[in-house]
Amino acid sequence: MSTNRLLEIENLNTTFHIHVGQVQAVRGISLHVDHGEAVGIVGESGSGKSVSMLSLMRLLPDYAHISADRIYFEGQDLTNASVDQVRRLSGDRIGMVFQDPMTSLNPLMTIGRQMQETLRVHRKMSKADAAERVRELLRLVDIPDPDSRQKQYPHELSGGMRQRVMIGMAIASNPSLVIADEPTTALDVTIQAQILALLKGLMDKIGTSVILITHDLGVIAGMCSRVLVMYGGCIVEEGLSREIFYNPRHPYTWGLLRSVPRKEGEHAPLIPIHGTPPDLINPPPGCPFEPRCPHAMRICRTGMPRMTQVSDTHRLRCYLMDEGAPKVAWEGGRA
Amino acid sequence: MTAQPLIRAERVSMQFVIGASILNARKRVLTAVDQVSLDIHRGETFGLVGESGCGKTTLGRLLLRLYKPTSGTIHYDGHDITTLTPQQMMPFRRRMQMIFQDPYASLDPRMTVSTIIAEPLRRTEMDRAQVDARVRELLSLVGLDENHARRYPHEFSGGQRQRIGIARALAAGPEFIVCDEPISALDVSIQAQVVNMLEELQQRLGLTYLFVSHDLSMVRHISHRVGVMYLGHMVEMAPVNELFTNMAHPYTQALMSAVPIADPDASAASRRIILEGDVPNPMNPPSGCPFRTRCPVVMPVCAEVKPELKDIGGGHWVACHRV
Repeated sequence: MSTNRLLEIENLNTTFHIHVGQVQAVRGISLHVDHGEAVGIVGESGSGKSVSMLSLMRLLPDYAHISADRIYFEGQDLTNASVDQVRRLSGDRIGMVFQDPMTSLNPLMTIGRQMQETLRVHRKMSKADAAERVRELLRLVDIPDPDSRQKQYPHELSGGMRQRVMIGMAIASNPSLVIADEPTTALDVTIQAQILALLKGLMDKIGTSVILITHDLGVIAGMCSRVLVMYGGCIVEEGLSREIFYNPRHPYTWGLLRSVPRKEGEHAPLIPIHGTPPDLINPPPGCPFEPRCPHAMRICRTGMPRMTQVSDTHRLRCYLMDEGAPKVAWEGGRA
Repeated sequence: MTAQPLIRAERVSMQFVIGASILNARKRVLTAVDQVSLDIHRGETFGLVGESGCGKTTLGRLLLRLYKPTSGTIHYDGHDITTLTPQQMMPFRRRMQMIFQDPYASLDPRMTVSTIIAEPLRRTEMDRAQVDARVRELLSLVGLDENHARRYPHEFSGGQRQRIGIARALAAGPEFIVCDEPISALDVSIQAQVVNMLEELQQRLGLTYLFVSHDLSMVRHISHRVGVMYLGHMVEMAPVNELFTNMAHPYTQALMSAVPIADPDASAASRRIILEGDVPNPMNPPSGCPFRTRCPVVMPVCAEVKPELKDIGGGHWVACHRV
């Protein structure tokens, strides 16, 4: 293992036991994040991108069953750590930013007090120290006039301001990793641009790594050096951003890239992915994308395809990569 | 363009009075749409973009006369519909329809799909068998199965529900449909399905759309002409290619540059204009140009005089003192 590894997860599975059966939300994913790196996880709703991160932080309800062969974070083995241990560590070393800042902030507390709370619990800071740190954090996330802002309640702030407060709270204890789960989905584009610029700036300033969960390929292209594509609880393809955007190999990734209009704007019809995402209650044994895949073969129904390595950084799960499989090429890419 | 437009709005404004109640006598006025003029021609898709709260939904509802404008006039197919009573509006009602953003909230969970789709047909002279036949026809038109008719909305995915909403909108055979953020609640792979279907239906049925969205790349894809709104004002309006290659208003430029590009190299090479601050409170709008508080190229005159929409050629209209 290289010394630059911040986080390493191997074979993570998360299953929810509910009355109708078992929902296999995350099915054997492995991933790693290096220091200072921004990794994007892209996928549609229900693909398991949020649940995999919540599993890492052990923030799921009791009926979720989480197992993994190996979880390493900052050199510590968390594979068999207790929930309390993980939460204590992650509360301090991993910051989290959620999609909707209005529901993740306490409406009855001023933002100054909520931000101080994190510091007093995790860092055992005195009230005065915490107050000073909060002012510093608000300046760091570019909130004008921090002294009067921290006396305000969440409803008095705009969506963009609230998301800045959330980011301020996430970086309060100088975490080595920030997990941002659809941080800009609820925001307008001009505000989204502000928040993404802020996140990028903070990565440089405080050297934190970022895992960015989003359904927006554009956001990933602008922010992340590496991308994981999730579908039906699995990572179906992963690679450097350039590999995923310019040389994608998985039919689902092709589908994703073809279903958004090109910037250049000539009027080519969009090519949608037919059908709907899979039901994860007792899913069939084959490739999760098989029912919607235009290139599906008989073998695709028999079992999960293994990971095929395309380059040191680029790998995917698809039977089209097998020797003897029909040659199907990506047509949407650039020369 | 000499043909008579299907919709013509002239200097329409919509003001809402907020906070007037027994307890609170102090009235405040929110101008959601401020003196907007536009024409929409038959068979055309007019895209309306802008950030939340800019008045695009209100404008859509005004054109359908779901609101009565505070001032200005609206003509539909040459008829002045600005002040018609609900009874007088009836003949126009079936010619205009709406598709909503949230396919979960816009379908009654206690109605079957066939009742939902048949609802606009209730005031027609169709008998039971004709209605059933029409429902079947509509279901196949939007790519759903006949035996879906007896099911309830909760049995369908978001994309399928949006198809049900579209079938309902088409039921009475409208000419004009306001699509209010019809794809924003859907997954990326499903968005393309719905947009393709809307385009196909337009060609087959000769529909006219007002496509309201904050997704600029989809608006660029589907629209013939596009209007950009900011704080209740139409700040720029042009044919789609003209607007996207030759945008003239600083707000449009900032809005376009803020759109994330799904291409790492293009994204790294693009020059982003990052606007500072938030949209001003519409109850207390700035004097002069509504955009001047965030405009990167603001001048003293912008605080004093509100810029009018000017024609800069080729059907391209801009409201900016710099132009």
